Formats: sequence, structure tokens, C-alpha cells
Amino acid sequence: MSIEMKNDYGTIDITNDVIAQVVGEAAIECYGIVGMASRHQIRDGLTDILGKENYAKGVIVRNIGDETHIDMYVIIGYGTKISEVAYQVQSKVMYTLKKTLSLTVDSVNIFVQGVRVTN
Amino acid sequence: MNFIDGVKFADMVRMGAHHLHQNADYVDSLNVFPVPDGDTGTNMNLSMTSGAKETEANVSAHLGKTAQALSKGLLMGARGNSGVILSQLFRGFGKAVEEEEKLDSKKFANSLEYGVQTAYKAVMKPVEGTILTVAKDAANKGVEVAKSTTDIIKVMEAIVEESKASLKRTPDLLPVLKEVGVVDSGGQGLVYVYEGFLACLKGEELPERTNMDLMEDLVNAEHHRGVQGFMNTEDIVYGYCTEFMVKFEDEKVKKHPFEEGDFRQDLSKFGDSLLVISDEEIAKVHIHTEEPGDALNYAQQYGSLINIKIENMRQQHIDIVGESHSTKKAETASHPYAIVTVAMGTGIADLLKSIGASAVIEGGQTMNPSTEDIVKAIKDVGAERVIILPNNKNIIMAAKQAAEVIGIEAAVVETKSVPEGLAAILAFNPEAEVADNEKSMSKAAAGVKTGQVTYSIRDTSIDGIDIKKDDFMGLAGSKIVISNPSLDDVMKTLLESLINEDDEIVTIIYGEDVTEQEAAEIAEYVESTYDHTEVELYNGKQPLYPYILSVE
Repeated sequence: MSIEMKNDYGTIDITNDVIAQVVGEAAIECYGIVGMASRHQIRDGLTDILGKENYAKGVIVRNIGDETHIDMYVIIGYGTKISEVAYQVQSKVMYTLKKTLSLTVDSVNIFVQGVRVTN
Repeated sequence: MNFIDGVKFADMVRMGAHHLHQNADYVDSLNVFPVPDGDTGTNMNLSMTSGAKETEANVSAHLGKTAQALSKGLLMGARGNSGVILSQLFRGFGKAVEEEEKLDSKKFANSLEYGVQTAYKAVMKPVEGTILTVAKDAANKGVEVAKSTTDIIKVMEAIVEESKASLKRTPDLLPVLKEVGVVDSGGQGLVYVYEGFLACLKGEELPERTNMDLMEDLVNAEHHRGVQGFMNTEDIVYGYCTEFMVKFEDEKVKKHPFEEGDFRQDLSKFGDSLLVISDEEIAKVHIHTEEPGDALNYAQQYGSLINIKIENMRQQHIDIVGESHSTKKAETASHPYAIVTVAMGTGIADLLKSIGASAVIEGGQTMNPSTEDIVKAIKDVGAERVIILPNNKNIIMAAKQAAEVIGIEAAVVETKSVPEGLAAILAFNPEAEVADNEKSMSKAAAGVKTGQVTYSIRDTSIDGIDIKKDDFMGLAGSKIVISNPSLDDVMKTLLESLINEDDEIVTIIYGEDVTEQEAAEIAEYVESTYDHTEVELYNGKQPLYPYILSVE
């Protein structure tokens, strides 16, 4: 599954994995996000924080017709205002996709899979 | 001052919040990161105000309790990235001082530092050059100074000074700031809070900003608003950023009494981004205009011009962003080497076109296009050579006839389903001869397993399977593998019979009777059940066939 763009020189194909990676990178730069979580908690063990190479597991890009929806599974730092952090991630992801891939997505849905307590 | 208690701390918070509030607009003007929505100042101000309110309502002589109130108020009111970070800074601070009646200089600085640690822990990848950096540098400086002095005012002075210095350094750490020519907005907000703290400790009133200082900030803000990454150089309507001052001269002002309102009104005709600030002696002007001379001539009526600065913004913009290349879609009127194919459902037609079909004829199971339809389609695309993909075994004959009568070089690749047609198109080589393409495309089509789900229109029995009217039937290739009233069951059985260990890609094309949600659930099911496969989902909008599958 991928997003295709056309220009004078030909087509550019961006796979969902690339989008997931870009989105994951953008998300973990957001304040309050301490990690990306796997969407298959049962299968992959409980709220393990995913390593860089696995962000795609915590990001789902759904292409439905000509709409693109993104679901993200994140872990948030304890003591932050979760609703606000999630909102920040949404806007940052939208902005990053627009800026780096000229891609406008129809929705970014955040699933908070856990909170990480540090001391 | 050697100690601060809860009451003093509450005063500091009030002053910090007030000073930030005073300057929120300016902080907004600096906003570039990470999403340019220009509300950092607003967000921080709302967060800090909420913190100050909660503190106000719960002032206690016990410093720890007051700090808890601040921490709670900030958390409740946290808005925006900067607001969340601010709340974390003081949450950590509050934790560190929880048991303290009052603070000495060391404890104060260490607690601020502990707040910074807390704030850093709440993020996986701290971005330097932001409020985090400013808070860190300032706290470190505070800790250092507190080692050699017990005077809290001295420590706070060092903190403010270092926070300002660190703020100045933010553009070196964060390229986007340098690009726009501003310092980090969140960091600036924190500096205001700290300045408020210090003024309170010193018992000073903070100076209100003067008009003339304001001009610099306003100009920055105005420019910043214009510099957003998506603008093309040719979008600049007023090309010259023009700044000057008019030093009033008595003689001229007698003739033309200076009225700031009228002056602004008149100038506004010359361009936009207009800023005018004046006092008794001088008027400062900033305007973006295409005729800087006219604006200068007009202003000269009131006095002499000083400090004139005119910049060509188009040139600046080109230097910054480089020439943007336009990506216009290539429009080709004719397809000398065409692929003409057949499909039902606008979604499938779009899909076929998107990967290279020159023309898609509406048709399919029940409305098979005639030879004539196919010939017409080939003529319409202006083909000189053509490959025809019928995508249905009932259309193969018509396609072959069309190839014979069309009078140009033509070949039929006998695709029996949409997935086969898709695979064939992907194997098309525009450089190759028709005969070679026919071979390679047929081979590609043969490598695809097609699954289809449709309805039964009567009771019957085929291949030993009992079929009831209105049942869903799953076809693997042309063989019926299951018939069942449950679409889900049919899909699962069909998938099971189609997919084996070596398969990598499952393409699901869902029809007009299937909702997005249902299709997404099926896709999810395939991904989780056959985790060695990639799933591609398309809305084919085809009638009669809820699902068309291809497995390869």
C-alpha cells in the first residue's frame, strides 16, 4: 500500500512504511511522548516500547479509497496532561507530513497504550 | 534575601504570570516550532495563569504546599507543548520542595534543576534549542552560583541572565529558528516568567514596554507572519520592505498637522504589513510596498527622513528558499501505445488508470462491452498500437474481434479478472514490441491468484457445494469454494484457500455494498492472521462483487 504522486518526470511512490517511520520520528520528538507502543500488545508483549526500527508497528496507515488515516499507539510520560500531549502529536504529525511529503491526511488518531512513571 | 517561604513564592508566581501575560503577543509572534500556528504565547499564558490562580487560592506559608498548588494548577491548565513543558518544570520543582517550609538559595536552585530533570524525562527525544534548553542552562547556572552565595536574589539574577543568554543561542541549536530569524518562543516565555520572579524578589515593578521598543518586535512579528515555508516568490505582491523614521519639522507640521490615524490611513494605500508608531518628535514607519519612493515622498511632507532601510524581499526570498520547481501534471492527449481495459466500478477504473491503463471501458459481469465498444475506446485514445485486457472471460471473444478489426497493431492478453488485469498492466513495458508485451503480461497475469465474492441468484449445487439463493459465494479463480449467508465466513474460507506460505501481497478491492469500516476490518484480519503478507486495500466501488481479491 502506498501513496503515489505524479509530476513531469514520472511518479513518486511513498510506501506506508516510510510514512509510518516519518510519523513515528515526528511523534517521539513531541514533548510528553516517551515511546511508541505496539498495536498488538497481546502478541508482542505488554506495552513494550518499540525501538526505532519498529515504529511502523505502532503506526498504522490506512488508505481507504483516496483517504488516508493514521492510527498511532503511544506511551506518554506520567504527570503530563495526556489530552494536550496527544493533541500536540496530532498537530505535529499533520504538519510534518505536509512539510516533508506534501501529504494531507484525513485523520490522525492517537491511542494511548500506557503511561511511563519515572521516579 | 536568604530564604523564601510559601507566601513570597506565591507573589513570585503572580508576578511571573503577569509579566508573561503582558508579553504573550510578542511570544506568539516568535512561534515557529513545531507547528506554525502562532499560539505559544497564548498557550503558555493560559497555562501559567491557571497555575497562578490555583496558587492564589491555596497560598500557604509552607513553601512546599504553595508549590504543590502551582504544580496542580499548571497541570490542569496546561495547553500546548510549551504549557505542558512549563507544567513539568514546576511539577519537578514542586516534588523537590514538597517537605520544605522555606527555601535557601541552594535548595531553590537545586529544585529548579530537579524540575528540569523531570521535564527532560517526559520526552523520548528532547529537542534542543527550545524552552527545555533555556530551562536547563538557567538552572545549571543557578546551581553553580548558589554554591558561593546564600542570597537568593543573586541566584535568581544569574538564572535570568543565563536564561536570556541561552535564549539568544537557541537559533544556533535549532535551524528552523535561524531560518526565520527568531529565538524560541517557549524559551522566551520562560524568560518572562523568570524575570517576573526576579522583579518580585527585588520588590521592583517591571518596566512596561515602550512604544519604540515595541516597533522592533512588531516588525519581527510582521515579517515572521509572512515567512511560512509554503510561499512562492511570485506570491509576493509588495516587494520592498521599507522602514524609516520621520523627524517632524515645525514648518512642515504647521502646513500638515500630523495625525497618526490619518497618516496611517494614507500610507495604507501604498502596501501592507503597515506599522506606525509615533510620539511628539518622531514617527516610525514599517511598510511592505511596491513603490517605496511614493511612501517616502508622502512621509516627507511631515519632516525629514532618517534611518531609511529598504530591502528587496523577492530577492531575499529566492535566496532563502531557492527557486521552487513547479510540478505540473504531464498532460498527454493521445496514447500512441495504449492499454485498453474493462472494469466495473469507478474505483477500479481509477485504480487501473492510475497504474497505466489508457482507457477503461465500463463493463463486467452483466454488461459486457461489445466489440464495437472496445473498438471505439481504442480509437478515442488515439492509439497506434494497443494491448487489450478484457479482465473477464466473457469479454475475451469481443476483445479478440476488436483486435482483428481495429486495423492497428493489437494484442489481447487474456485476463479473466481485475487482479489479473492489474498484474498485466504492471508488467507492461512501453519500450517493448506488442508481441513481447503480450507474452510478459500474460505471464504476469498467470502468476496472480484471484478470489471473488459475489451473491447467488438461485438455489443450486455446484462442485458438490450446496448454494442457496442470496448466499455469498467465494470463488477461488473460477472455482466455487464456499457458499454461506455470512460474508465474514465466506471471506475467511476464501482467504484460507487462496493464501499460502509463499504469498506476499494480498490486494483487497471492496465493492459498493461494503463500508470502509468493514473493509478495514477484513484488512486487519488478513494482516494479523497471515502476518507474512502485506495488505493493500482499494475502494473499487464495483457492484455485485463485495470483494475482489488478488494474492501473489
